[in-house]
Order: sequence, then C-alpha cells, then structure tokens
Amino acid sequence: MVAKNKRADVIAASEDLRRRTLAQTSSALDRLIYLASMRDYNTGLYVHQGLAARFSAEVACEALADCHQECFRELIFLGLKDLTEQLNVYMRSTGTGADDFLRTWRELEPYRVAVPVGTDSLVAQFLFSNLKVALAILEHQNSHVPEPIPVA
Amino acid sequence: MTQLFIFIAIAVALLILLLVAMRRQPARAAGSAGELVTAKKTLESLQSGLLPPEHVEQVFGRRDLAYVEEMGSKDIRDLFLSERKRLALMWIRLVRRQVRALKEFHVSRSRMFTQMSWWKEFSLAFNFASLEIRCGILQILMQWRGAYAAPDFARRTAASAGRVCSTLDQSLAFLTPSVPVSLGTESDADGSMV
Repeated sequence: MVAKNKRADVIAASEDLRRRTLAQTSSALDRLIYLASMRDYNTGLYVHQGLAARFSAEVACEALADCHQECFRELIFLGLKDLTEQLNVYMRSTGTGADDFLRTWRELEPYRVAVPVGTDSLVAQFLFSNLKVALAILEHQNSHVPEPIPVA
Repeated sequence: MTQLFIFIAIAVALLILLLVAMRRQPARAAGSAGELVTAKKTLESLQSGLLPPEHVEQVFGRRDLAYVEEMGSKDIRDLFLSERKRLALMWIRLVRRQVRALKEFHVSRSRMFTQMSWWKEFSLAFNFASLEIRCGILQILMQWRGAYAAPDFARRTAASAGRVCSTLDQSLAFLTPSVPVSLGTESDADGSMV
C-alpha cells in the first residue's frame, strides 16, 4: 500500500511538473535538455527544489526521471525533419549566435549527457546520429541564408 | 624400509591430488540463477530494444532519406548514409550476438527447465541456423551497400528473430512472476477490501 501511495505521489508530481514547468518549453528537445540539467552528474539523481518542497526529494527525483524518459521516447520517434526543426527552435531560443551554437554542439556534443540513465545503447546512438545530421543540415541552411544588407 | 618410502610417496601423491582438487574452481551449477536471469535480460533487450517493428523502421525506413535528399547537398547525404550504415551494422551485430547468446543458453541449459516436443526443438534449431545465415548475409550486404541495401530482408529477419524470442520466452516464462489480478479489487461481504 505504501508503494502504491508513493506511486500516486510520483504521478501527481509528474503532472505538476508538466503543468507548471514543462508546459512552458517549446519542444521535446528543449524539455530533454532542461530535465538533463536537473540531474546531478555525480549521483545521477534529479534535484528540483520546488517540486521537492511540495512532495519530497525522492518523489521529485522519480517524477523528473519519468518525465525525462517520456520526452526521450518522444524524441526517438521523431523524424529527422521534425528533429531538425526542434533543434532550430531550440538554437534560436538560447540567444546564442547560430555559428557559435552549431560549432559548440558539433565539437562538444552536449546531447550525449542528456539521455536518461539505462537507455539502450542503440537507441541512444540513433538519437546522437540524428542530431549530428540535423546539425549538419542547420549548418548547410545557415550558410545558404543571404547576409542582411547593412543599412547605410 | 622400501615399503615405508612407497607409503610415504603414495601419501604425498594423495596430498598433492587433494590440494589440486581444492584449488580447482567450483563447477557452476547447471542452469544457475545468474544464467537464467542473463538469458531473460537478453530476451527482453531483443524484444523491447532491437526487434520492435517501429525501431527497425527507424533504422531502415526511407522517410529520413527522402528528407535528406530534398536538401540537395551531397555532403549531408553522404554523412546521413554513413551514419545509417553505422547504425544498421551496430543493429545487426547486436541482434546476431544476442541470438547466439540465446542459442548457447538454450543448447546448454534451457532444456533442463522445459519439456519441448522434438518437433519444436527441431523447428527452433532450424530457426536459429536460418537466423545465423540471414544475419551473416545482412551484415555483408550492409557492409557493402549500407543501411538501404535490403530493408525488406532486414524487416523479415527481425520478424523471424522475434518469433524465436517468443518461443524461448515461453520456456523462460517461469521467471516472470504472475500477479494475481484480483488482488486488491475484491471486497468482502461487509465491503472491506481484501
């Protein structure tokens, strides 16, 4: 019964997280990056002060992990076209220049640390591979955009 | 005196034999829990990660290729094709490795836990052999011509591996705990939950 109640808590916490925080994100990629940033690199546990205050640290951690898995699955089943669009929207939302963003992502591959724990290696490789191609597409599109004419 | 030496020699030889016997690794029990759990995990990994049609479709489907071709860039097309080839080869190697692991498990251990008819055994052996050949051919084709060399053949191989997995799954079904459906849903006459 305790386990059942705890599960209900986790579901409530996940709903709360979706409604208050994740609803403000623009795409699954955006959510993935956000949720991965909530995870402690050393312990692998998710930390969210607000959610932990409303529920408990353990429940908040589990709810964040569930949402992380959920948006990862969503991304995996996206076609390359949709993924490229999401990456483009995410790039613009960061406020970083396109050249800087694309170079940094190509060199550092930050998406590699954004996958949930326990992800199947082939599935993770599939996402990394698609993101690599999506970055190349955005670079190609970016290099073909005509330069704005400076106003005299 | 000679007899004493002979007895001492025999005693020393026996002692050495005893020490050698003690130093040997204990033989693993046939069908040990570890092996069963590993086999079950391999089966689950195949069924949930490598063989579902939607995952196979993502690697071998042509939707993404069509999008890349719309770009009209040779560099992007080449990058995409080399990435898909890498993924396809990774997929086939994983499927092949896990099917082999399951075959070895079945040959050495599984028969201790299940009563299979000789016809089912024969059919399974044929399926394992056929899968091994199919995977070998697919691997060569993919190495040579990339992920889009024989997508239908890849789909059929995945489906065939899926059928072998479900046969083996039945023989390992005793590892999956059955949950009583009625637990917590029935009430006593006074309305209290059971």
